[in-house]
Amino acid sequence: MMKIRVFCVLFIFCLALTSCTNEDKGFDKQDFAMGTVITQHIYGANAQKASEEVISKIKQLETDMTINKPGGEINKLNAESGNGKWVKLDPEIIYVLKKAIDFGAKSNGAFDVTVGPLVKAWGIFTDNFRIPKDPELAQLKKLVNLKWLLIDEKNSSARLVKKGQIVDLGGIAKGYSGDVAKEIYLKNGITSAYISLGGNIVTVGSKPDGSAWNVGIQNPRAPNGKYLGIVPIRNQSVVTSGDYERFKEVNGVRYHHILDTKTGKPAISGLISTSIVSDFSIDGDALSTATFVLGLEKGRALIESLPGVDAIFVTSDKKIYVTSGLKGVFTLTDESKEFTYVQEG
Amino acid sequence: MFKKGDLILIAAIVVIIAAAFLITETLKSGDSSVNKTAEISQSSKIIKTIDLKKVTKAEDIVIAGKYRNVVRVEQGRIRFIESNCPDQICVKTGWLLSSGDIAVCLPNQATIKIVGKADNIDVVSY
Repeated sequence: MMKIRVFCVLFIFCLALTSCTNEDKGFDKQDFAMGTVITQHIYGANAQKASEEVISKIKQLETDMTINKPGGEINKLNAESGNGKWVKLDPEIIYVLKKAIDFGAKSNGAFDVTVGPLVKAWGIFTDNFRIPKDPELAQLKKLVNLKWLLIDEKNSSARLVKKGQIVDLGGIAKGYSGDVAKEIYLKNGITSAYISLGGNIVTVGSKPDGSAWNVGIQNPRAPNGKYLGIVPIRNQSVVTSGDYERFKEVNGVRYHHILDTKTGKPAISGLISTSIVSDFSIDGDALSTATFVLGLEKGRALIESLPGVDAIFVTSDKKIYVTSGLKGVFTLTDESKEFTYVQEG
Repeated sequence: MFKKGDLILIAAIVVIIAAAFLITETLKSGDSSVNKTAEISQSSKIIKTIDLKKVTKAEDIVIAGKYRNVVRVEQGRIRFIESNCPDQICVKTGWLLSSGDIAVCLPNQATIKIVGKADNIDVVSY
């Protein structure tokens, strides 16, 4: 009798020790879609199934929203620009367009999905980079105006008023896809996961041990993977826009991919990187572009006006600023020692 | 409840088991931090795994595809050394040294990385 008891005590002790060594390492999947790398890290029984569902959904969204390949919904809309016809579109696309118009208004046009004609002129997302002349840009700028993108939600239709207008969802498509991925995870009963869509991070819950996901903020002047600091998040998204992601240097001038619709040229706002922390990645995507174009002062004012949204700004003189919700949350780790974290107030 | 002898026995066995677990755990974690495995993959498929610790002389590995990447492997490090892709981002990334470091050639859908994750972070936003 006593021996059994002794044995039980020891057995339970061993069990307690082994239980923590037997943890789930998580399921990893990497794919190429939307012109970038998609990485998924998922915990739980349905991890593989969910990851496959996510990637096939992302590929469908890519087809629907791209203007770099034929087919899809946005190309249908663009093809009918100026024809006076309403184009019937998937309700999902209508939702993204409505969001885009909303952020266009909030940012006073700094984020504008009708930027397409300018994007095409610069050849930014293809291998055909060129520097358009000022008169060409002046002409194309006239087509960039959100008031000529009309939505008829009841009939799930949209219309571009002026001939030659082009909607480019490049600044919002990955953000929306991240939110959709999260819905798929939740539907599959997953409570702990993250997905990175080319550096747009969306998290589900926390890490399996309950701690926050530690998201590194890319050092905009160092190779990929080198980070300036860390933001711990649970169930939120971090989206970064920077002048280092896609750019060409010609005669010492850096031509990056974030266009200012007011000039028709790559934005020069004094910022080299902006990261948005938000509940929805679609918001983070649009706002990271918007604030990058607006610059530190206006960008910060915009973010502070939006509840539940925060930002990290990196300026060209290598200073880092954060909005009120990230004070004491963002941690500087900069190994390069080149950046200064400005903590005011 | 227990006799004195039993208690001493339990205590002794508990100490021995705990010590054994402690030792194996330290060995395991120590091993993983020293271990440096590099993975070369293309179109999401792993084409080669290399233990960077065991590399004795520099070696070049060619990844064919839409473009041609040359990966240089040396002891403890790996990089894209040459590529005929248009943006050269892969080459500019430079040497990968520690767990979690990754370099990608998007045009050729090629990735090199050092397995494991960086010490303090789970993922980088860029």
